[in-house]
Amino acid sequence: MARTETNDKTTRLDAIGARGRLADRLEQVVLYAILVVLALCYVVPFLWLLSNSLKTPSELFTHPVKWLPATPQWVNFRNTFTTFPFMLYLKNTMIVVVVNIIGSVISNTLVAYGFSRLEWKNRDRVFVVVIITMILPFQVVMIPLFILFQKLHWIGTFLPLTVTCFFGNAFFIFLFRQFFMGIPMELSQAAKIDGASEFTIYSRIILPLATPVIATVVIFAFIRTWSDFIGPLIFLSNDKLYTLALGAQQIMTAYDPKWELLMALGVAMTVPVLVLFFLVQKYFIQGIAMSGIKG
Amino acid sequence: MALANKKRTGGERLTVILFLSPWLIGLAAFTLYPVVSSLWFSLTQYNVIKAPKFLGLGNYVALVHDKTYLTSLWNSLFMVVFGVTITTAVTILVSIILNNRKIKGLSVFRVIFFIPTLVPVVIVAILWVWILQPQSGLINSVLGIFGITGPGWIASPAWAKPSFILIMLWGAGGSIIIYLAGLQDIPEALYESAVLEGANFAQKTVYITLPMLTPVILYNVITAIIGVLQWFAEPFIITSGGPDNATLFYGLYLYQNAFQFFKMGYASAMAWVMIVIVLALIFTLFRLTKKYGNSE
Amino acid sequence: MKKIAFVLMGATLFALGAASLSAEDAVLNYWCSWGGDSMKWDQWRVGEFTKATGIKVNNQYVEPDGGIQNGKLLAAIAGGNPPDCVVTNAYSQAYSFAAQDSLLAWDPYLADIGLDAGKMMPGFKGMMQYKGKTYLMPQDSNVLFLYYNVKMFKEAGLDPNKPPKTLEELDKVAEKLTKIKGDKVERYGFIPWVDNGGDPFTWSWMFGADLYDAKTNKLDLTSDKMVNTFTWQNAYARKYNPEKIKSFVSGFGGMFTPDHPFMTGKVAMTITGNWFTNAMRIYAPKVEYMVAPIPVPAGGRANSTPLMSNVFIIPAGAKHPELAAKFFKFIISPEINANNFDVWKSIPVTDKMFDSVSWTKKGDPTYKVERILANSAGSGHPAMTKVSAELGERLNSLRDAVIYNDKDPKPLLEDLQKRLQAELDKE
Repeated sequence: MARTETNDKTTRLDAIGARGRLADRLEQVVLYAILVVLALCYVVPFLWLLSNSLKTPSELFTHPVKWLPATPQWVNFRNTFTTFPFMLYLKNTMIVVVVNIIGSVISNTLVAYGFSRLEWKNRDRVFVVVIITMILPFQVVMIPLFILFQKLHWIGTFLPLTVTCFFGNAFFIFLFRQFFMGIPMELSQAAKIDGASEFTIYSRIILPLATPVIATVVIFAFIRTWSDFIGPLIFLSNDKLYTLALGAQQIMTAYDPKWELLMALGVAMTVPVLVLFFLVQKYFIQGIAMSGIKG
Repeated sequence: MALANKKRTGGERLTVILFLSPWLIGLAAFTLYPVVSSLWFSLTQYNVIKAPKFLGLGNYVALVHDKTYLTSLWNSLFMVVFGVTITTAVTILVSIILNNRKIKGLSVFRVIFFIPTLVPVVIVAILWVWILQPQSGLINSVLGIFGITGPGWIASPAWAKPSFILIMLWGAGGSIIIYLAGLQDIPEALYESAVLEGANFAQKTVYITLPMLTPVILYNVITAIIGVLQWFAEPFIITSGGPDNATLFYGLYLYQNAFQFFKMGYASAMAWVMIVIVLALIFTLFRLTKKYGNSE
Repeated sequence: MKKIAFVLMGATLFALGAASLSAEDAVLNYWCSWGGDSMKWDQWRVGEFTKATGIKVNNQYVEPDGGIQNGKLLAAIAGGNPPDCVVTNAYSQAYSFAAQDSLLAWDPYLADIGLDAGKMMPGFKGMMQYKGKTYLMPQDSNVLFLYYNVKMFKEAGLDPNKPPKTLEELDKVAEKLTKIKGDKVERYGFIPWVDNGGDPFTWSWMFGADLYDAKTNKLDLTSDKMVNTFTWQNAYARKYNPEKIKSFVSGFGGMFTPDHPFMTGKVAMTITGNWFTNAMRIYAPKVEYMVAPIPVPAGGRANSTPLMSNVFIIPAGAKHPELAAKFFKFIISPEINANNFDVWKSIPVTDKMFDSVSWTKKGDPTYKVERILANSAGSGHPAMTKVSAELGERLNSLRDAVIYNDKDPKPLLEDLQKRLQAELDKE
């Protein structure tokens, strides 16, 4: 009986193999083609942005469309940096971003530790509350937060944009917790026997092990803060404190937007993020995989 | 393990609280307090300068009669139904194709799809204004090469929402990464036995991949729905809600009421309706996937 | 780890604190609403002010109109740290601010400023005050007219010195100037909702409708005149297909690009303001054009214009309103305002001031038209109400509904009036 079955299987595999190789290849080609077309659709807008940033104003508006500039106008970039307070806004954006990253890593690792490495009653039930807060749309809290910050006289400063990061973020707590739960409890126990406090375990053992997920959170926090628009729009009023995102929109709504500079600004704002991403790509992918979002 | 459970000293409790303190404070100050206040404001007429005036359910009643509100609701639901569905389908397809080990250049493709999510929203908006321009924008110029006259995109009430679906698709790279991670977890053996049975690509996808991916799909869909309802920056910058309110999405109309029309109470009511809708959608989704997931 | 964190936090907070310090000793905080070249002029006059009075000014450009339409000014007032004065062209929304108790009155300083409201042209009276107090101080104003392409007129056998005066004439001329070959549009004669024709209050004003009666606090959006503005525009939409129009004339925004449809010959006539003469000068110097008062139907406001004034306001909670007053007094003088008039052909607020403007002295024909329009009794500021911000948005949506979807304006207007009247009655 068994013999026949195995024979059947092998025969079938052979049959599939022979016929299948052609169909298989065809399938591959079609799928690959779809992929390439889609990838092109994703990449072309960038190239368009880059191309536009190097055109002269009149080249921008020609009919029909001019695909490439006659001569690349690198001067657009220089003008962007001089006429637009790029450096100032960059500095502001960096302040907010760096403080955000620090706050996000510190506070969320602490909280995630509490939800994963410490045992206490109802721990997992309370964690569900964390998950629920992830669902909360920003618009719901936007107005009361605004009024709260108004009462504190924080409107017009960086404080509303940065302080909240020191108090936990549901998504990041989730990511860190998933990771921490994967670290064997034996490590903690061994350390405790040696007399280590929870905090020491946290800082000396858990954190160093958590590099991939920390890298992931750093990237997420960076991207989120770097592009944040509605926050600065609502909470900042002094243009000396504007971030790049807000400054860019400001140029656009002027009656006389210099589009070629805006395009150059667009490139200038995107490049740092790209660079950062390429540097930490490995960690990032690893981090997502390990985070068990899929779980 | 048993050791840790037995010691329930005050010191331990304190440690827990200390570790959790950032979140606890944040929860109280930045979540609970605003949520409760927002509920209170939704029952008032409040222009921020003067004290709020109690209205009872007046704002909610007004919402039902507000044609513009209903339009914004319809617009956002349209995006949920069509935008999220199309985006989910495309991203899953791309992820599955990419997951095939025989595909060369996986990491290059992965990066290409993901990078648009890194572009700041303001730049995305500016870029897409140029891409969607009816006369000399990128899309219509490309279509022009093939002799097709492109539609009005953001200049046309009928095509404005599809324009935003395109924008949504372009920014969906994050879901692709997450799907890829989820796909890695599906055992190769399952696929092998399916091939033996003579399954083709479509069958493999429907009977193996999708059921195994259900939790991931659920997560991405929920995140996308929340994102769509809140969507603000691009509609604000590109179309300001036009033409003819075609792109007046929920989040944008909320902002207008709060910061342009001096109607914070009304805007808060809108925010609360948003929560209810989100919860309802999530609940429905969970129910649906339970049914589907169980039919393995 | 902990130490570094604390140090970093401390440093950041210090930086934040330093950055958010509002200047304490008598610095004037001033927001202006123009970027680009106008901003340069504004910075120049601020510099002159500091030279003349020794008062430092912290001025910043807040888009798009002093932060009114995007809520930034509201945020600043609510946050308790508003600027001392703001200049904005969104005068009707500024009026809403006054009605919502968000502004301080100028009355204590009026005597010192020495601007006699009595000497102002008729169109300015009534705009400045709310419930008997003065909140909006106009620095200058702008008029709207009909721009028309001389070459196209001549080609079609029309006399450029006899522009259309009535609405019917306008429609006829528009048709003559429209060139459509089969399915391809070469140019439109006139599109009512492009440029400032697309502003919510332009046509209702020109057709002679009065949207709001301040004495009775009642809105009137359903008069025949008002309905006619929409049916008239809809006639163009039905004839030429609004989506096609929008595709054809849409550019990348604003008039300060070489892409503007009047510059590229896509439309033969358009309604916009005197500031456009500057754009034409820069981007389309070869296009020959002339201007005329906006044509009106019977019963409309002939030879008039809605006045687009730039007004100064003092937000509630301003720390140095007296400095704001000093600044206004300084900038209203003809010497300071001269460059403003030179570049933009804007108009001063009293007829007498016209005499010192260079364009008058040169005998510029456009400016002559402006003077007539400015002095007309029919010129004024439409829709000064508490709900103007929302009213403007809604009216534009309504117009879109009419022209894109051929909806009947009357029931929509009735519904809008009911809603907004309820808002007005709430106080």
